[in-house]
Amino acid sequence: MHISEGVLSAPVLVTGAVLTAAGVAVGLKKMDYEKIPQVAVLTSAFFVASLIRVPVGPSAVHLVLNGLLGLVLGWAAFPAILVGLALQGLIFQFGGLTTLGVNTFNIAAPAILCYYLFARGIAHKNSSVAMALAFACGFFAILLSSLLVALCLIFTGESFLQAAKVLVLAHLPVMVLEGVVVAFCLAFLMKVKPEILGATHAAG
Amino acid sequence: MLLARKPRLSWGATLTVLAFGLIVALPMVSQVWAHKVNVFAWIEGDTVFVEGYFPGGKKSQDSLVEVFNPAGTKLLQGRTNEKGEFSFKIPERTDLKIVLTASMGHKNDFTVSAGDVGEVRASPSSPAQSLAESVKDASSHPADLSQLEGMINRALDRKLAPVMKLIRDTRKDGPSITEIIGGIGYIFGLFGLVMYFKSRKTGTRRKAQDGEHKAH
Repeated sequence: MHISEGVLSAPVLVTGAVLTAAGVAVGLKKMDYEKIPQVAVLTSAFFVASLIRVPVGPSAVHLVLNGLLGLVLGWAAFPAILVGLALQGLIFQFGGLTTLGVNTFNIAAPAILCYYLFARGIAHKNSSVAMALAFACGFFAILLSSLLVALCLIFTGESFLQAAKVLVLAHLPVMVLEGVVVAFCLAFLMKVKPEILGATHAAG
Repeated sequence: MLLARKPRLSWGATLTVLAFGLIVALPMVSQVWAHKVNVFAWIEGDTVFVEGYFPGGKKSQDSLVEVFNPAGTKLLQGRTNEKGEFSFKIPERTDLKIVLTASMGHKNDFTVSAGDVGEVRASPSSPAQSLAESVKDASSHPADLSQLEGMINRALDRKLAPVMKLIRDTRKDGPSITEIIGGIGYIFGLFGLVMYFKSRKTGTRRKAQDGEHKAH
């Protein structure tokens, strides 16, 4: 998911940066005091998740956890992912500072979309439906991110269909794995601390 | 009482999430890798070897390799094999910038200096003239010297091979545990700072409200 420096052209980078700035502004506005510790913890989880490798074909993919971040944090996922990516860039040299905007948007936008699509259903329906929705949330977040990255790569000369095919295929195991992780986290949170999910709706 | 307990509850919940994350992540640290491609190049004889790999050591297969000279002209291009390797004869005796583009928007570059090495190898008839001059007093034949030069070079290649391998392997290491813990520390520090400023803001607002209440 991390696009390296020097791959994308300036218009794509600027568009990504502007969209990310807007998302982060909304996220910071919606992030109230009580929620900050949650944001911090999930940012750490996101930061570390990129180290969990999933060996696929000729390339390397890893967990992203954007579905989980979107589900629990809502719009606060934007600043969380920005901070996580910035530190991954600075410390691990994943991605890069110029591509920070684009990469944040590619990962955070699907998180927000999944939040609107799934968060309500997960909080209210019975547990097996909630599990299925949680899986779908983790799955779709990665799928959408892959498609967004493919969209960015069009401008580098790669054809969309080809790039999308490579990205989606490579991330298929990640999608399944993230679905399971989100479902597992949800089951755990509903049993132990259901208010962490309920609180999201009040705030978002 | 209820109000006082509520934040503590969400702290507990968030800490359990963190604990889960760490339990999952830590055993993987020894074999980490992620979304970044590395490229390393070295010279043996008159050939440049290029290797592309991801942190953790997985090879970057079938990736585009382009070679540029310092002026930015593309000299040649090719693709890595299933071992993530590509090799080519030194095309120009300058600094060669090797750019590797893997799939999914991964890209990196490495500059190898082919200047000195290339000169010695490519023209064995003028092998290290300084050496020839320095030994001229000993009345040796230039032909012997060029043979000697070749032998030394071969021996050096052989002796240096393990060192080069060591350098390559060292560069393959993923992030260390120190970096990971450090990163998490930064995150908590940053959000702690955010909390501090937000708490000051709400604190002053609360005081202002209290003041209003008293005034009424």
